[in-house]
Amino acid sequence: MTPGGDAPSSERSPKLFPFRNWGDGLFFALVASVAFVLLGLFLLLVLILVQGSWITIEQFGIGFLFSNRWAPGQNPTFGAVPFIEGTLVTSAIAMLLAIPVSLGIAIYLSEQSPSWLRTPLGTLVELLAAIPSVVYGFWGIFVLVPIMRYSVEPTLKAWFPGNPLFAGPASGSDVLTASVVLAIMVIPTISALSRDALAAVPQSQREAALSLGATRWETTRMAVLKYARSGVVGAIILGLGRAVGETMAVTMTIGNADKSFTSLIAQGQSMASLIANEFGGADYAEYRAAVLEIALILLAITVLINVVARVLIWRLVRKTGEVTA
Amino acid sequence: MSANEAQGSGTTNDQDMARMRSQKSGGHGAIIALGVVLILVVVGVGVAYEEGWLSKSSGNASAAKTCNIPNQQTITGAGSTFVNPLMSQWATSYNAYSTNEVTYNPVGSGAGITDITGKTVFFGASDAPLTYAQTKAMPDQQLTFPESAGAIAIIYNVPGVAGLKVNVAVLSGIFLGTITNWNATSIQALNTGVKLPNATIIPVHRSDGSGTTYAFTQWLSLGSTQWASQVSYATTVTWPAVQGEQAEKGSSGIAGYVSTTQYTIGYVDLNYALSNSITFAKVQNPAGNFVNPSVSSAQKAITNVTAEAGFSLPAATGNWSSVSMLNSPGSYDYPITTLTYMIVYQAPDVAYGSSMTQLQAEALWNFMNWTISSTGGQSYSGALYYVPLPAGIIALDKTTLASMTWGGTAIPACI
Amino acid sequence: MKIHWNRDGRRHLINYAMSGAALACVIIALIPLGSILWTVIQKGGPILNYGFITGAEVAPCNANSQLNCQIGGIGPAVEGTFVMLGLASLIAIPVGIGAGIFLAEYGRGRVSRTISFLMDVMSGVPSIVVGLFVFTALFYYDIPNRLHIYNAYAGALALAVIMLPIVTRTAEEALRTVPNGIREAAWALGIPHHRAVRKIVLRSAGGSLITGALLAVARAGGETAPLLFTAAWSPFFINCPPGQSALSCLDNPVGALGPLIWIWGTSPYSNEISGAWGAALFFVLIMLAISVTARIILYRRNQRVGG
Repeated sequence: MTPGGDAPSSERSPKLFPFRNWGDGLFFALVASVAFVLLGLFLLLVLILVQGSWITIEQFGIGFLFSNRWAPGQNPTFGAVPFIEGTLVTSAIAMLLAIPVSLGIAIYLSEQSPSWLRTPLGTLVELLAAIPSVVYGFWGIFVLVPIMRYSVEPTLKAWFPGNPLFAGPASGSDVLTASVVLAIMVIPTISALSRDALAAVPQSQREAALSLGATRWETTRMAVLKYARSGVVGAIILGLGRAVGETMAVTMTIGNADKSFTSLIAQGQSMASLIANEFGGADYAEYRAAVLEIALILLAITVLINVVARVLIWRLVRKTGEVTA
Repeated sequence: MSANEAQGSGTTNDQDMARMRSQKSGGHGAIIALGVVLILVVVGVGVAYEEGWLSKSSGNASAAKTCNIPNQQTITGAGSTFVNPLMSQWATSYNAYSTNEVTYNPVGSGAGITDITGKTVFFGASDAPLTYAQTKAMPDQQLTFPESAGAIAIIYNVPGVAGLKVNVAVLSGIFLGTITNWNATSIQALNTGVKLPNATIIPVHRSDGSGTTYAFTQWLSLGSTQWASQVSYATTVTWPAVQGEQAEKGSSGIAGYVSTTQYTIGYVDLNYALSNSITFAKVQNPAGNFVNPSVSSAQKAITNVTAEAGFSLPAATGNWSSVSMLNSPGSYDYPITTLTYMIVYQAPDVAYGSSMTQLQAEALWNFMNWTISSTGGQSYSGALYYVPLPAGIIALDKTTLASMTWGGTAIPACI
Repeated sequence: MKIHWNRDGRRHLINYAMSGAALACVIIALIPLGSILWTVIQKGGPILNYGFITGAEVAPCNANSQLNCQIGGIGPAVEGTFVMLGLASLIAIPVGIGAGIFLAEYGRGRVSRTISFLMDVMSGVPSIVVGLFVFTALFYYDIPNRLHIYNAYAGALALAVIMLPIVTRTAEEALRTVPNGIREAAWALGIPHHRAVRKIVLRSAGGSLITGALLAVARAGGETAPLLFTAAWSPFFINCPPGQSALSCLDNPVGALGPLIWIWGTSPYSNEISGAWGAALFFVLIMLAISVTARIILYRRNQRVGG
C-alpha cells in the first residue's frame, strides 16, 4: 500500500484527456503504440505458428490430436498423443511430488519458523529458481539418473512387481526421472507464491482460531489455508504452467522416445522436448509443420493454464483487498 | 526470482512485484544506477564491435601463402552427425591455418540436404548421397564432393561377452523383431563357445534423419529381402516396432545409450565407437570372414570397391544415388563402409545471389581444398578414426573443385 | 489448562507431527539444491579460472584415447551470452518501460487491467515456443535479402521477446507505486504531463525500474531453448569479416552458455563434458549473482518502508 493514503493510480485526474499540448499527445501516442505493438507481437506469435503448421492442420485436421503415431519416415504420419501424454504425465507426477513439499515449505516459513530463520531459508529455497534449466538437466544426467537407475527404480519394481506402471528395464532416463527434476524446479514457484498467499491472511483470523483453543496446525488448516485457498490454488496452477513448458531439463532426462505412455520407467517425450530434439533435424515441410503444430498445442495448453491461474490470483487480490501476488 | 527456462512467471513477476509494490519510491541514486547499467549494456555490445572480444583463435599463419586466401570469413555448413567430430577438428585447424571460421551444425544428414537445397547454408554434409529426387529438387547445379569416409560399427553392451560375431541376417532379424533374445540360436550359432545370456535384446536406432541410418539400412536391404521389402533404406525409416526399442538422437545419442544400458545393440560411426571405447562386434563380410571395424579394414574396403573392374563414380554434377561402398569383396575388408559427402553449388554467385560474397565463395573453395589435402584435412582423419580417401577419389575431387565458378570464371586456386 | 491426553493428546501429537513434516519439506527441497551446487562446484571448480572463461574452444577429444587432449575454454560462449543479453536488453528495456508507462499513466480500469493480464499470461509462454516463433518469422519463409539463417540478432530478438512482458509488468508496478501526489504537484506547477513523467515520475521509480530490468535479465540469461533455433551454435568468437559492413559481425551463428552446456554435456567426449561442468559452475554463479543482487535491492527497499 502506498503510504500517505494516496488514491490508487487508476483514478486519474481528468486533466489528462484531452491533451493540453502537442507534447502530451505525442508522448501518449508513443507509449500507446509501444503497448499495442507488444500486444500485436504476441498475436503475431499465434498467427505465425498457425501459418507454419497449416500443412499439417489441413492434412490431419482434428485427428492430429488423437493420433498416437509419430512416424516421420518414408510414409510419414504424425500424431500429437504421445507428446501430450508425455507432457501431462511428467507434469502430473511433478505436481504430485511438488505440491505437498511446497505447501510444507510455505506453511513452515509463514506460520512456524522463527522469524530470524525466515529470510535465509526463504532465500535458499528461491535459489532453486535461479539455477538455469540446462544445469538441472546436466545434473540430472550425471547425478539423478544413476540414482534412479540403480537405487530408486529397482526398489520401486521390487515393491510393485508386475505393476504395469513400473514395467520394463530400469534405465534411469525416463518419464519418472524427468518428473522428479520438474518437481524440484517448480517447488520454488509454488512455495513462494503460496507463502505470499498465506502471509496475506489477516492476523485476526489466526488469533480467532488460537483463542478458541486450536493448535498451531489446526489454526493453519482451518483459518489460514481456507482463507488463502484461491491464492494457493493459483500458485499451484502457475507451477503447473511452468512444468508444462519446461524444455531443457526434460529433454536431457526423459529418454526421447516418440511413443505413447506405457510405463513410468519407460522412455518418453514431452511436447517441449520433442521440439528441442527434432525441429533441427526436420528435413521436409510436413515434418516441420507437424512440429510447429505441436508447439501450437503446447502454447494453447500453457496459455489456458496461465489464464486460469491468473484469474484465481486476481480473485484473491480482490478478496483480501491487498495486492499479494 | 527465476533465472531459468520455463515460465518464470511465478517468482519473477508475482512475488517480487508484490514486494516492489510495498516499497517507497527511491531517490536519485537509482537514476544514476540505471544510467550505469545502460552504459554497461551499451559498452558490452560495443565491445563486440571493437578489438577486445574479436580475438581470433590463436592462429599462427605458418605456411607462406602465395596468393591472398580470404580471411576471417564465416562459412556455415550443416548436416551429418557422423562427420561432426572431424568437422570440429577441421574447424579449429583450418581456422589456425586461414583465420576463416567454419561453423558446422550437426543436425543430421537429412536436414543437411534440406538446408543446402534451401540455400540456408554454404555446404551440406551428408553420409547419404543425394537421391534421384533430391538431385532433381536442387534449384541450381550442385556438386557432390566426398571429403571423408568411414565405417559403421555395430556396438553392443552384453556383460561378459567380448568379440561378438554378427552377420546381416542376425542384425536384420534383431531390428525387424524376429530375433528377440540374446541367446537365440541364430546368434549362438555364430558365437560357438561364448555363453550368451538369456536377456531381451534392446535394439537402438536413430531418431533423427541420418546418413548412418541410410548406409546401415542399405546394407540390411542388400542382405535381407524381408528388410528390403518391409523397411527399405533411407535417411529416416519407419523402424519396425520391437519391444524395448530405443531411439536416440545422433550417433552420440546411440553411443551414450548403449554404453550405459545393458543388453543393447546399436549402430554408430566407427569414430564414436573407438573414441568412447565401446564394445563393437565383428561383422561377417561377403568373403565369409568376421572382421573388426577399424580404419585399416575400412580403408581397404573403400580402396577395393573403387578398384573393382567396372566401378566408376559419377561426375560431381551427376546422380550419385546408386553409389555404394558396401560389401567390399576383399577377404578382410569391413562390409559396412560409406563415403561422406559435402554438397555445394557449382556457381555460388548464381545460387546465393546477394547472400554470399565472393570472398566467402573463395573461402569455401579454399576450405574444401584444404579438407582433401594430405597435409590439411586428410592428415587428421586417422587420429580421429576416419578413413582417409584413396587417391582416385581425391583426384576426382580436385577436378570437381576446378569446376566451381564465380562470375563465370573458375574460382582462383588460393592454397 | 489441563491436557486431557485421550482427546487433546492426539491433537497435540498431530500438531507436532505436522510441524516436523513442514520442516522436513524444507529440508527435502534443500537437498537437491545442495546436491546441484556441490556437484558443479566439485566438478567445475578445478577448471574454472580466467583463462577458461575467456579462452578459445578446442576440438572434441577423449582424454583416455588421445594424448594431447585439452579442455580449452568457453570464451566464445561467454561472449555470445553477454552480447545477446546486451542487445536484448537494449530492445526490451526501453520498449518494456514504454509499455509500462502507458499502462501506469494512462491506464483506466478495464483496458489497462486487460492488457496487464495479457502480459502476465504472455510471460508464461514456454521459451522454446518463443524461439520457434522467432525462427519461423525470420527464417522459415523465403524473404529475399534476409539475414543469414541463425544469427545473433535472432537470438537477441528471442531473448527480448522473453524479457518484454517481465519488464512491462515490473515497470508498470514500479510506476504505480509513485504516489499520485507527485504527479498532481507537477501538474499544479504547470509542467506538461509528458515531461512530468519523464523527469519526475521515472526518476522516482528509478530503483524499482532497475530491479525489474534485472529480474528480466536474470530470466533471459538463464535461457537455452529459445537460442537453439535462432542463434544456433558457433565455437568461435564473434568476428567481423573484412569487406563487409559492421552489422554483419553479428549476422552469423553465435554460441552461448546454455547451448554450450547442452551440447557439451550430452557429448561423448571427455574434454567437452569436463568443460561443461566448468561452464555450468560459471553459469550458476552468474545467475545467482544477478538474482541475489536483485533480491538485495528489493529487500533493502522493503526494509526502508518498514511496514
